[in-house]
Amino acid sequence: MSTQLSEAPARPAAPVRPGRSATTTGTAALFRFALRRDRIRLPVWIAAGTALMAMFTVTRHTRADEEAGRTELLRSARVGRHAPMLAAVLLAGLACAALAVAVGIGATATGLPATGSFVLGASFGACGLVFTGITAVAAQVTGHTRSVYGLVGGLFAVFFVLRAVGDIEGNWVVWTSPIGWAQASHPFSDDAVLPLLLCLVAAVVLVLGGFALLDRRDLGAGLTQPRPGRATATPWLRSPLALAVRLQRGAFLAWALGLALLGVVYGALADSVETLIAGNEEALAVFGDPDVDDLVDAYLSTTFSITALLAAAYAVSSVLRARTEESEQRAEPVLATATSRSAWLGSHVAVALVGSALAMTASGVTTGVVRVLQTGEAAAFGRMVGAAVAYVPAVWVVAGLAVALFGLLPRLAAALAWTAVGLFLVITMFAESFDWPGWVSDLSPVSWVPLMPLEPFTAGPVLVLTAIAGALLAAGSAGFRRRDLATG
Amino acid sequence: MTAISVSGLVKTFGATRALDGLDLEVATGEVHGFLGPNGSGKSTTIRVLLGLLRPDAGRVRLLEGDPWRDAVALHRRLAYVPGDVTLWPNISGGESIDLLGHLRGGLDARRRAELLDRFDLDPRKKARTYSKGNRQKVALVAALASDAELLVLDEPTSGLDPLMEAVFQECIREVRAEGRTVLLSSHILAEAEALCDRVSIIRHGRTVQSGSLDELRHLTRTAITAETARPATGLESLAGVHDLRHEDGRVRFDVDTDALDGALRHLTGFGVVSLTSAPPTLEELFLRHYGDELAENGAAAREPVRS
Ligand SMILES: Nc1ncnc2c1ncn2[C@@H]1O[C@H](COP(=O)(O)OP(=O)(O)O)[C@@H](O)[C@H]1O
Ligand SMILES: [Mg+2]
Repeated sequence: MSTQLSEAPARPAAPVRPGRSATTTGTAALFRFALRRDRIRLPVWIAAGTALMAMFTVTRHTRADEEAGRTELLRSARVGRHAPMLAAVLLAGLACAALAVAVGIGATATGLPATGSFVLGASFGACGLVFTGITAVAAQVTGHTRSVYGLVGGLFAVFFVLRAVGDIEGNWVVWTSPIGWAQASHPFSDDAVLPLLLCLVAAVVLVLGGFALLDRRDLGAGLTQPRPGRATATPWLRSPLALAVRLQRGAFLAWALGLALLGVVYGALADSVETLIAGNEEALAVFGDPDVDDLVDAYLSTTFSITALLAAAYAVSSVLRARTEESEQRAEPVLATATSRSAWLGSHVAVALVGSALAMTASGVTTGVVRVLQTGEAAAFGRMVGAAVAYVPAVWVVAGLAVALFGLLPRLAAALAWTAVGLFLVITMFAESFDWPGWVSDLSPVSWVPLMPLEPFTAGPVLVLTAIAGALLAAGSAGFRRRDLATG
Repeated sequence: MTAISVSGLVKTFGATRALDGLDLEVATGEVHGFLGPNGSGKSTTIRVLLGLLRPDAGRVRLLEGDPWRDAVALHRRLAYVPGDVTLWPNISGGESIDLLGHLRGGLDARRRAELLDRFDLDPRKKARTYSKGNRQKVALVAALASDAELLVLDEPTSGLDPLMEAVFQECIREVRAEGRTVLLSSHILAEAEALCDRVSIIRHGRTVQSGSLDELRHLTRTAITAETARPATGLESLAGVHDLRHEDGRVRFDVDTDALDGALRHLTGFGVVSLTSAPPTLEELFLRHYGDELAENGAAAREPVRS
């Protein structure tokens, strides 16, 4: 995947760095250098951020309000049927436009060509607009905020992968993904505006489609009527663990499936890495004459560290489910039964730990299978699974951090835990590119893990990480047993 | 035997002093009304009793145990209906009832079926499609279908329609007949009057009155409306007479229970033609305790509400 292409070469040999005299001299040059090297990777992440921003903005002001009953109140006043969604779409559109302009100005200010800079900004904005449209439709299809996020997030993942595949293979597949359209503007080289217009048209069509669906459904409902549930509980739904599994199984399956698919894609692209790097002068210039097997291993180990971060994000979301249960007052009736606090929290944490380990393993298994098919070497399977599983303790440290925050600083838990995940992500993605000092990398538990399969397995970091995870879990549980439950 | 014994309970949330030396005694086998206006600290007290909040000061005993330390053991013996019932959106009402019942330690299937019927609740609906009243019914069925010796109910009827309110009252009477204890927090006075053996009235996190309804009535006023042959004068100079009004030949006033006799003697001196007396309601009790608060809020404070 292009995101990793620029990463892989950076591992074996550090890039040449422009000289610096004062501590900040050369920052702009460095930034440009990094931006050039990361000209594929960085935009993709910003595009992802823009898409998420659009999704949250539209959903929050449409389906979330509707589900909470606020829309009903609004609509009873002098507010038209289309007004709430129109307002949400306009807001998201405005945010996309603002972002486009800001990126354009910012990039120009660092000395990049103005046209290219604004095309770059517009490509982010265009991506956001398409997801504004997609969310406008998704918010009509399903009656539940959570499902809207699931639907749009899932589509984003599919488009993301399609773009990556098309990008690496250099073929038509790119055009099946709106993220690919936005990128096809090729800022700084082609500066093509036509693909961006395609995004705009798609966004308008989608929003109009959303309004058409809105006219065909009742307030508060989705397009389908909810099915009735069971009259009595299944016999297994009797313990706090069973409840946690029941509440979280949908999210687990989605994440596990996502990571398994990602494993397939990463594995499938390993072949292309060899050909691509062999024919890439810039890459060859950066790290001389490499051993091609090492290169593929470097690429694969980087993909696993990214998968590990995604698994950590899942683990955090799973732990924070306990916080949602608490703050939405659903923990209260359970804790008023003969369920201890440790059992209740432990159940959600068990789901998070086991779930993230399984999801991580799944990605190793799928990459392994693909590699065995590609190379015909059965040993590749074990190496891939091993490389993936080695990250489990690091993932658990991130989960443990979320548990500790939940127990000790419940109000800030969600914000701090996600900030940590974001920080670890930034470190893994950019520490090499920007040549940050070693202690910055060490902040992320993920960078403690040996870069398998490139590097050999070492037990030390894994044991230390496991111990840290255990300590964090114990601290969180102790904190939760001592504190007040959040009440309305 | 006391089921609940609280004294000097203090609980603060930052600068808010939610409970400020609250006292509460609930005898085993009684239905105890826990009354107070919104924000007076009823839910907070109940959460302390359930070990969900840790008290800052005071002594709290529940079923001879410490609610914070012995939470799990005590919870096997009680059932709780929260004031604001939120359920899992994707789990049906029937599943929630079973789940909560089993987590508590079992529930009576026959009673569960009977309660579903009486409360007219469809157990197959997903919780997100339930109205507030229906969510409350789910929690009520789960609690009432249990064999818990203590029921802790936090404003359990605030979302129920009058028909269901009647079913609820019936159920509580049955629970009481079985010798179980009920702590019923409410701001609906008619409900407390209909159900409770004793009540505690709280305000600003403090207990202001506690006792049987008869005892409390004794502390309040009777409303008198009388028609007299000659205009009744001099009532205003009697101690214990309040809110005196003359309306075309009639006189209306409220009189303290201990001044009732004197006021009636005084009236007969003017030739009583007709006389109605309304017994004091809990409503008045409330208004007496909270009247100044209502006046502060600019509400129609001293307009007595009579049923
Ligand atoms: N978690 C909390 N944080 C801050 N203040 C709270 C919290 N819970 C309750 N309070 C405050 O404590 C007081 C009592 O609340 P509560 O016990 O819910 O009253 P009631 O149930 O009688 O309506 C109110 O002023 C309320 O705002
Ligand atoms: Mg309350």
